Amino acid sequence: MPAPTQPSPRGGRKKLAIGARLALAVVGLAAAAIVYAFPLYWLIVTSLKSKAELFASTIHLLPHNPTFEPYVSVLIDRGFWVLLKNSVIVCASTVVITIALGLLITYPITRLPVPVGLRVGVLNWALSLRFLPPVAVVIPYFAIVRTLQIYDQPIALIGIYSLFNLPFAIWMLKGFLAEIPLELEDAALVDGANRWTAFRRVLLPLAAPGLLAAATIVFTFAWSEFLFALILTATPNAQTFPVGVQGLVTQFEIIWNDMAASGVIAMTIPLILMVVARKYMVAGLTFGVIRDK
Amino acid sequence: MSRLVAELPAPTTQNPVRAGRRRRSRQELLAYKILLPALGTVVVIVTIPFILAVVQSIQADDGTWVGLQNYARALSNPGFYDALRATGLYAVIVLPAEIVLGLGFALLVHRTVQSPGLRATLYILAVVPLVVPPVAVGVVARLIYAPGYGVLNVILERLGIIHQEIEWLSVPALAMFSVASVDIWQWTPFVYLVLFAGLQTVPKESVEAAQVDGATWWTQFVYIELHYLRPLFLLILFFRAADILRVFDHIFILTGGGPGTTTQLLSLYLYRVEFRFFQTGQGSALAVVVLVSISLLYTLVTRLLPLERT
Amino acid sequence: MQRISRREFVKRTAVTGAAFTSLPAILAACGTSTTSNKPSSLTIAAVQGAEDGPLKKIAPIYKSQTGITLNIDEFPYPDLYSKLVTTFQANGSSYDLCMMDDPWMPKFGTMGALQPLDSNFGFTRDSDIPAVVYDVGTWPPPSGPVPPSEQGKTKHLYGITIVGNVEMFMYRKDIASAPPASWDDVLANAKQYNKSNFYGYVIRGLATNPASSDSLPILWSFGGNVFDDNWKVMLDSTESIDAITFLTSRLKAYAEPGAASTDAADRDRLIAIGQAFQSTTWPAEVTGVVEATGSTVIGKMGYIPIPQGPSGKGIGMMGNWLLGIPKGSKNGSAAADFVKWLITPANMRTYVQNGGIPTRTSLLNDATLASTNPYFPALAKSLASPPNWRPRTDQWNAVETAYGTAVNQAVAGLKSPKDALTAAAATVRTLMQQAGYPS
Repeated sequence: MPAPTQPSPRGGRKKLAIGARLALAVVGLAAAAIVYAFPLYWLIVTSLKSKAELFASTIHLLPHNPTFEPYVSVLIDRGFWVLLKNSVIVCASTVVITIALGLLITYPITRLPVPVGLRVGVLNWALSLRFLPPVAVVIPYFAIVRTLQIYDQPIALIGIYSLFNLPFAIWMLKGFLAEIPLELEDAALVDGANRWTAFRRVLLPLAAPGLLAAATIVFTFAWSEFLFALILTATPNAQTFPVGVQGLVTQFEIIWNDMAASGVIAMTIPLILMVVARKYMVAGLTFGVIRDK
Repeated sequence: MSRLVAELPAPTTQNPVRAGRRRRSRQELLAYKILLPALGTVVVIVTIPFILAVVQSIQADDGTWVGLQNYARALSNPGFYDALRATGLYAVIVLPAEIVLGLGFALLVHRTVQSPGLRATLYILAVVPLVVPPVAVGVVARLIYAPGYGVLNVILERLGIIHQEIEWLSVPALAMFSVASVDIWQWTPFVYLVLFAGLQTVPKESVEAAQVDGATWWTQFVYIELHYLRPLFLLILFFRAADILRVFDHIFILTGGGPGTTTQLLSLYLYRVEFRFFQTGQGSALAVVVLVSISLLYTLVTRLLPLERT
Repeated sequence: MQRISRREFVKRTAVTGAAFTSLPAILAACGTSTTSNKPSSLTIAAVQGAEDGPLKKIAPIYKSQTGITLNIDEFPYPDLYSKLVTTFQANGSSYDLCMMDDPWMPKFGTMGALQPLDSNFGFTRDSDIPAVVYDVGTWPPPSGPVPPSEQGKTKHLYGITIVGNVEMFMYRKDIASAPPASWDDVLANAKQYNKSNFYGYVIRGLATNPASSDSLPILWSFGGNVFDDNWKVMLDSTESIDAITFLTSRLKAYAEPGAASTDAADRDRLIAIGQAFQSTTWPAEVTGVVEATGSTVIGKMGYIPIPQGPSGKGIGMMGNWLLGIPKGSKNGSAAADFVKWLITPANMRTYVQNGGIPTRTSLLNDATLASTNPYFPALAKSLASPPNWRPRTDQWNAVETAYGTAVNQAVAGLKSPKDALTAAAATVRTLMQQAGYPS
């Protein structure tokens, strides 16, 4: 708690004000925590209810006979584990391609002498990509995918996801790459290494945290994508998990427990990744625009 | 935004004098060799759909050329303007709320929470809404707001706050609030995380010096921390504004655009025209209009938005 | 979208030709005797819910008899439509059979997306199946207005009904003394039995398709309509406005809160937990929720055709689910064989015993089956009346959206029924004119 160092006649009152503020802060945080945690609590609780309980005339805040049946129903009876597998494959591939492309674009403009205009232009253009409403371009992409005969193929989704996540990746990578002093690379070059070796031996290890942060975020965003997955796939050959989740919101059946279970499954993998990559996320989220020198 | 970018260090070389200009232009050439193929591919992949959309927008649904007829029809459809209005209203509710709340919590945690364990817990809590796929968020929202089995009404009734069900999804104002609340729930943590990370980079010496001088929370914020957070603010504003133009999943599941068309935002309206009515000509025309408007707006904003300090 | 055949995963690509041509070779190499072109599996695009449940249950029976696996990819109702249209536009071969709701027939028929079952595969009309069932699967439609672009085309059968859905009416017969004969009776009953936590009538008022489906029988029973026989828009006629006013003002007084966001599942739940008295219903809702395990009202519901309106007639609405064969399917004859297999009396009986909804009059009037399916007699009567079908236009989706939004606005109290319908009528007129209809 920040305390003023000089003694002052107002010290007592100030301490009281600080105490009151602290109390307010705790209350505020607690309220926020409850508001945030409740939907998740409800999701998990609903996912553990049996079908019979859904027909109860009152809603129970705690499941009366908790069961994992909805999870079994979702993954095995409905066969969603295939969709889960597809999601993992598509997202992992997207990460690889997006990071690679991102590096190819970010490295030259942050570490090689290109004109300022080009650098600014590329970064601005990358940011503008984020403004592309997928709905506006999904029909042309559908036509392209059809022509290339990759309809209902994971590769179609991988390509599009890489495209749409590139802006974020570029901005995050730019932040990390710009932080690394050029002298380190130049030292390696002067020692006779070529640029590729310098990149691999010097830059990559230093940029690794940034790469991991960007990879985690790209994976998370690709994981959640729904519209293109819905339109560009037709069968479990390429459908991803969000498509399955949405499919459970049917009109004629009361399967909220399955719906909730699918929601819980959907958030588990990216959540694990985000928690594991915590250290790097905090650094990555400043996008390198904050310079503390 | 150009100011943002200009904060990057200009790459310098420390080549021995004898290598001089020739070495630099070789580096520059290398830059182009790496950059242009990658960038070029991406640019092409991004531009082709735009061209296709334009082509499709001047054709009728069966392929005959009809000039600007689709544009006339699309732009005279009141549904389009309803969608724009709904999107605008949504943005006006969601953007300020997310920024103010996110900033508030970032400041709160930054100032009052020191224990790393608690900070880690808060981080995890903040990350969860981000990783839940919007479709799943829509599902939860349904379970909370739906008539009959929505748990929010159940809780409010048990607490004695209300005696009759609130129709969260059937009254236009409430429906808009419901879908907006979902967005706020999901993205305020993002704002919080980014701004919190930014606050970590504020040099402690400046803060302590200010406090010795008797600065209050408010002045400390305005004169020191804001300076460091300003570029982040802009970035957040841009990302969120872009996302609002694309928001689709949770609204699709929660209200489907209803009641009536009050929550039918732009993406949903486009989706309906393209994938329910299959009016591909009009859909493409709408898409082109949206894309061009956004591009113009974006260019305008990035030119005009000044940072007050150099 | 969900595979139900658990062990077999056949890889599909957009160019499936190579895969299928190699299959006979593989089978031959395995030593099984095959007739030429007999595939090992058929893919069916189906609607998720109670309607495709029976299909999934009889798939193993078919497999044990013929060796052909049925891969059933399920989609929610609105997604199935989009998925099918986009597949047809791509002339894709992902699906060998597709389930279609009958209002989609005009779009698919106009697109020429399906293979004619009569000329290609020799389907003929069976007298045990009501004529209206064959009519609904025929394009261009044998009765009612025909879209201008389709006039003059030869009529062909493109779909066979496998879910004999007709919208009916359900009410708590353990509470009411007599079934309501007219909508005025419905209103009187609603008023009489309405009390706290027990709603006199459940309105399925969610925007577009749900509200439209729920209100069209009422619209027709009051003498209103969407179009007349020459495609003239009738949504703002006096009868139409009266019908919707009846639903959204008079009946609404005894309806559940949140009617404007209530869909079928929500309605069924209210009935199943004993908190509502009556509503319109689809047979699939009955088998799926109302009479299914967990429901507290099993055996307490009475099922009747749609009550009469001021016009003197009660007009039900067809909502048959048909099976059709997409043009792009490479297994047309195998697919047709399956459909023929399914509709034989014996197999349809098995289908019914697995929860299916039949179309054969003999089965609907069968006493033993009626004991486990209490709505069969009402369904038989409804099919015989005959019921109306939704307007046969490829623009139906847009029309339904305009109309269903108007009903939803009236239910929600956003607009008066007159204003909502007048606005919808104008929208539909513009839409139809732009599509080339003489509206």
